[in-house]
Amino acid sequence: MMFDCFKKFFEYSIIFFFILTLNFFIPRLMPGDPFTFLSSDEGGVHQSYSEEQIEMYKAYYGMDKPLQVQYSDYFKNLIRGNLGYSIYYNDNVLRLILRSAKWTLGITLISLLISTIMGTILGSLSAWYRNSIVDRGLYPVMILLSEIPAFLMAILLLFTLAAKSSLFPLSGGITVFGEYETWFDKLLDVLHHGFLPSLSLTLSQLGGFYLLARNSMITVISKDYMRTALAKGLSSKRIILRHGLRNSILPIITRVFMSLGSVLGGAILVENVFNYPGLGRLMREAVTVRDYVLIQGIFLVVAFLVLAMNLLADVLYKKIDPRVG
Amino acid sequence: MEMPLLCIKDLKVEYKQNGEAISGVDGVSLSINKGESLGIIGESGSGKTSLAMAIMGLINKPNEVSGSLVFDGNDINTLDKKQLSRLRWKRIAIVFQNSLDILNPLLTIQEQIYEVLIRHCDFSKEQINKRIMDLLLKVGLTLDTARCFPHELSGGMRQRVLIAMALSCEPELLIVDEPTSSLDSLSKNEIIKLLSELYIENNFALLIISHELDTVLKLTSKVCVMYSGTIVERGSTSEVIVDPMHVYTKGLLKSSPAINPFGDMWGIPNERSRVGKLGCPFENRCTQSIEICKTKKPKLNYILPNREVSCHRGGIVTILRGTALSKSYKSKSRTIEACINCNIEIKSGEIVALIGESGSGKTTLASILSGILKSDQGEVLFEEVPVRGNNFTSRQEGVQMVLQDPFSAINEKLSVGEAISEPVKIMTKQSSDLLKADVQRVLKEVQLPSEDAFLNRKCYSLSGGQRQRVSLARSLMVKPKLLIADEISSMLDPSTQANILRLLKKLQNEKGFSMLYITHDLAVARKIADRVYVMAQGKIVEEGIASKVFLNPDHEYTRKLVGETENWYVLNNKG
Repeated sequence: MMFDCFKKFFEYSIIFFFILTLNFFIPRLMPGDPFTFLSSDEGGVHQSYSEEQIEMYKAYYGMDKPLQVQYSDYFKNLIRGNLGYSIYYNDNVLRLILRSAKWTLGITLISLLISTIMGTILGSLSAWYRNSIVDRGLYPVMILLSEIPAFLMAILLLFTLAAKSSLFPLSGGITVFGEYETWFDKLLDVLHHGFLPSLSLTLSQLGGFYLLARNSMITVISKDYMRTALAKGLSSKRIILRHGLRNSILPIITRVFMSLGSVLGGAILVENVFNYPGLGRLMREAVTVRDYVLIQGIFLVVAFLVLAMNLLADVLYKKIDPRVG
Repeated sequence: MEMPLLCIKDLKVEYKQNGEAISGVDGVSLSINKGESLGIIGESGSGKTSLAMAIMGLINKPNEVSGSLVFDGNDINTLDKKQLSRLRWKRIAIVFQNSLDILNPLLTIQEQIYEVLIRHCDFSKEQINKRIMDLLLKVGLTLDTARCFPHELSGGMRQRVLIAMALSCEPELLIVDEPTSSLDSLSKNEIIKLLSELYIENNFALLIISHELDTVLKLTSKVCVMYSGTIVERGSTSEVIVDPMHVYTKGLLKSSPAINPFGDMWGIPNERSRVGKLGCPFENRCTQSIEICKTKKPKLNYILPNREVSCHRGGIVTILRGTALSKSYKSKSRTIEACINCNIEIKSGEIVALIGESGSGKTTLASILSGILKSDQGEVLFEEVPVRGNNFTSRQEGVQMVLQDPFSAINEKLSVGEAISEPVKIMTKQSSDLLKADVQRVLKEVQLPSEDAFLNRKCYSLSGGQRQRVSLARSLMVKPKLLIADEISSMLDPSTQANILRLLKKLQNEKGFSMLYITHDLAVARKIADRVYVMAQGKIVEEGIASKVFLNPDHEYTRKLVGETENWYVLNNKG
């Protein structure tokens, strides 16, 4: 068992190392560099740099050194927990990321939670009452939902619920310069702003979870042990929960963890639609200004999150399914 | 008379698939008394498991169950969900066919037995735990099995868990579906032993469903043979297996290596026809079907005091019966008694071997049976009509004989085509052109070329094996119901002999004719015969089903014959 854990950890370490390496090289493969961008006219408000200044900055950020030296410096810094200093924002990258990450994690986790629970319940009901009116109504709607990408859903919601009916704010994560009597008012405001981004993510995930839950339950219902449970004269509640759901939920649990990556990806686009102050917006800005350090930092954090979730899924699956391990 | 525990009347199960109704069980009636054991055998798809599912009330909409299923005064078919769930497991429990998925993979064995006990029995927690331990020990498992998950068990262990689980609430009726089919022979015997011990100990009624005849034979006293959703034969298990009276049952027995250890295995020819069609469901595979079988469904009728068969012809027909046949040859100085009071019976679709040394009177008896020779005493009946002269050899669907010596049995001046078509030409007065297609067909059947060049070849240019095939083809032309083969392989080399025998057996299995195979070669008889007559000095000294005669001969002469063959095997295997 210990050996297995170690092995798993080792595997993940190798994957992480490759990701770090890619993470180092990809921004450097992009055309342009932070300083040419900063000195170009596009930036508008920013001052331009002279040749000497660029040289100076390059030296300051260590970009005048050969690639392999940069590469080893990058790892040395990582080990110290130093993600570097943003070129554009002039701030500590880790601090920048953590500041945005809480917004992103907020909407992703909430929408993941809601879409999982809703999807599982609706999917199981649909499977249990297969070919009933409920099933026939839900199924095509859910297929449609599962095919609509999150950002498109976000634009639709933005048009209907924010722009047209102004039920919800158009953009941002919190009212700018807002003043609150209590922390509860502040929370309400945050929820109000976060509602549409969360809803778009939830809806875009719901279809997938519904289809998975329905499919999984249909498979479970056809299994021999369900017939055994019925023949044993058990109560319906026990048959459905203990024998049905207990088995059908296994793939759903894996999917929750595995889908974190795609939900984060969706969130990044959705955030840009709502101008939501999360990682997505930060990343877009970082990419436009070629802020290598920040881009690397964000990728690193996202990759770390996804890998950690995968590892968690692996470990958890062993706990809940006695056949694995 | 006490009321049966379970009484099924005219049970029908129909599966609805895409608007089509597929019949699974088609009008089955049976009853099981308290403490009685009943076996149901049949090929897969014969409706055995559907029957069990119907008894458990496990056939769901849109599939339909009709007829009555009265268990202890309650019709299972009319009970609501709640009543049904109270009846299940508490009073009727089932040991499902063993499969990996039959137990919930996420629950331990302990939990899976626990949940039925807590539901159906009024026990405290401690009592339940104790009961689980008792059950596991009773079925021969160790106590730590309780903490195992289903995937940690072997097939045999899982079968035991299923049995323990089924017995947990002490049901009055235990249904066991295919208890041994997925197990190796060692665990199989252990499970059979376990089941029979438990049956004796607990006194429940036992319904065993299996396609394995030996399992049913060992565990039940009565048996129903199911085919296409109907019962085709019913009787006491030991009698049905020794002496089947329905063509289907007989086919099943022939296909079972456990029951039929010596002979070649032959499946029942043709595919099963659709359930619920008009007429007898077995008609297209039956070797003795007549016109009425196509249009009317037979009912289960008593043909013996304790045997029911569903067949328009009253079960397997006796095609030829010779009673008290005697024949002596008188020469100047002495009288040779070639046949003394011989009784012989050949049933439809059966291969009977007549074994004996040369000079024991085999050929004389065969000639009497075919009508070539007139007996001094006794009578031969072919389908209940006396055999006189060539009245059955000279007609189609009668008796044909294939003789030992292929060289003299065929006029070697004739061409192959002429030799084969000659008898039919005489019988029906058809022209050779009309018969050519038939000739080519039988030539193909006996695995000879059917081109014109071969048809025109003269018989003298053929080898012994080829001539024997030609003479077989000549017999097949008239579609005999009984083929008497007199030492047909003795003049052939071993390889040709094997080919001819295999061919003969294949043809017999396909066409379903009966065969009297006369031989002095025990090894050959053992390979092909269903029943054996042993002849010595003009008398039939022993008769019986092949496996019994060869395994356990009664008569000293047979023992000697069998013994010699055995010795020969031993000598050969040493070298």
